[in-house]
Amino acid sequence: MPDLPKKKVGIVACSGEEMAEGTVTRLAALRVLEQLRPNETVTICLPLFLAGGEGDRAFARFYPTIAIDGCDKRCAARGTEMYSGKPAASIVVTDAIQTNHLGTARRLSEAGMQAVDVVAEQVTQQVDELLGVKWDRKQGQSSKEAQPAEGLEAKIATCSCGSGIPIQKVQLDGQEVSFIALPLIFEQFRDAGKLPGDGTTAELMETVKVYNPIPDGQEAAYAQAVTREYTAFCQEKN
Amino acid sequence: MSEEMLELTVDKFTFRVPKSLYFNDAGIWVRPEGSVARLGLSDFAQQRSGDMAFAEVKPVGTVLKPGDEFASVETIKVNISLPSPVTGALVEVNTELQDAPELINQDPYGKGWFAVVELTDWANDKVRLLDAEAYYALIQRQAEEELEKQ
Amino acid sequence: MNRVVIVPCSGIGKSYGTVAREGAYVVTEDLRPDTTQLVPLSLLVLGDEQARADVSGAQAITIDGCKLACATKMVAESGGTVAHDLAVLDVYRRHRNLKPAGIAELNKGGQRLAQALAEEVATLVDEMTGEVKNA
Repeated sequence: MPDLPKKKVGIVACSGEEMAEGTVTRLAALRVLEQLRPNETVTICLPLFLAGGEGDRAFARFYPTIAIDGCDKRCAARGTEMYSGKPAASIVVTDAIQTNHLGTARRLSEAGMQAVDVVAEQVTQQVDELLGVKWDRKQGQSSKEAQPAEGLEAKIATCSCGSGIPIQKVQLDGQEVSFIALPLIFEQFRDAGKLPGDGTTAELMETVKVYNPIPDGQEAAYAQAVTREYTAFCQEKN
Repeated sequence: MSEEMLELTVDKFTFRVPKSLYFNDAGIWVRPEGSVARLGLSDFAQQRSGDMAFAEVKPVGTVLKPGDEFASVETIKVNISLPSPVTGALVEVNTELQDAPELINQDPYGKGWFAVVELTDWANDKVRLLDAEAYYALIQRQAEEELEKQ
Repeated sequence: MNRVVIVPCSGIGKSYGTVAREGAYVVTEDLRPDTTQLVPLSLLVLGDEQARADVSGAQAITIDGCKLACATKMVAESGGTVAHDLAVLDVYRRHRNLKPAGIAELNKGGQRLAQALAEEVATLVDEMTGEVKNA
């Protein structure tokens, strides 16, 4: 498992248009993104995410997300889990706020604006907690381990300036397929002495699958392509 | 278009830099095509600017030296004057941008091209430009600076 | 006749998303409350029965913030019939003086752009329902 510093948290708000609670989620998310934790959070635009936004989906696969939903239909949480992975935290306004007098979806009442304050604060606490603990993508939960060791940032293949998720395009059956985090996964495997070969492929693919969904029936083709890329990676390093 | 790219990823954004192109500091790319060069706006520059609402290019025949405005774009975030990276005269402009400026966002290195220039001093212009690796380093620094400002 | 279904993208990354959202409210609450109905995009995409029922058999007008056209794409993929698709960016190009700003709260330009957008949508709704409204 690539062991990267967790620099940012993705915020996914349902922005549901039919209920005041949906507007509360939108405004609370924006409060956190723009004012409370602008350096630590990234907005995941739900419609773009659902429509196939590659950058948003890759980010949400790689980094922890907080879903903010207006009601128990939980569109933001379900959508995130469907296309990237279970959110690290999920807040539902109807659970968090015990009042019906939030105004309308178009115009929140004073109680509605107070609800925004409450939800924004809850989200902020979750952000702080997530950045203080290690996020285990495989388990879909946080573990209270120490921060990754110093010097790990130097291993990020693409960029040292931001949170840097490398997205690599690979030729597969005549098509270009995007994989995320391959160089990082390859680096860790190589450093652990797990060189290309039959014994390594299965374990390598288990790790690749955490970040990259593999369509049914294409496991063999994907494994072949990843093995080819890993072989080339190791040859380049030698 | 399939050509080799350098890619810089920051958060959920990926910025592509074709290895075959040259760039000026403002993010204008140059694709030499014999005696002419095609110009456009880099992926990094277009993403930073936002959704293109308007794009205007100087007319065919306009004589340019490096730094002269050859086009301008407007988004809801910014109005930008685009400085020519080369010396020469405009021989072709992309008229599609008038009705579809979004091509600059959707395909910055392909259909989103701005203009073609008949080159008159390419040897000297080229020396002043950044190759792909140097431009990549520049945008990496600019992205770092933006993150530090937050 | 079924109401015309209005589906805004409500994108949260840009002002355009808020203009789309506000424009949808202006249409469905102020201008054409009897002949339109707002359907939340996320509910539709994630298979909510009521949302799917509302869209099924109805004509939809999608309002996208930008040219990524998430609402248009997802309504079509969810089995809806997109009669018209508007992009706020295009509406802005027709009203250059109404520059929107702000996502949580729209500036005056954004609010007026939402109104202009809503009026365009209302005209389309009238064409679709065969109604003629006086200005």
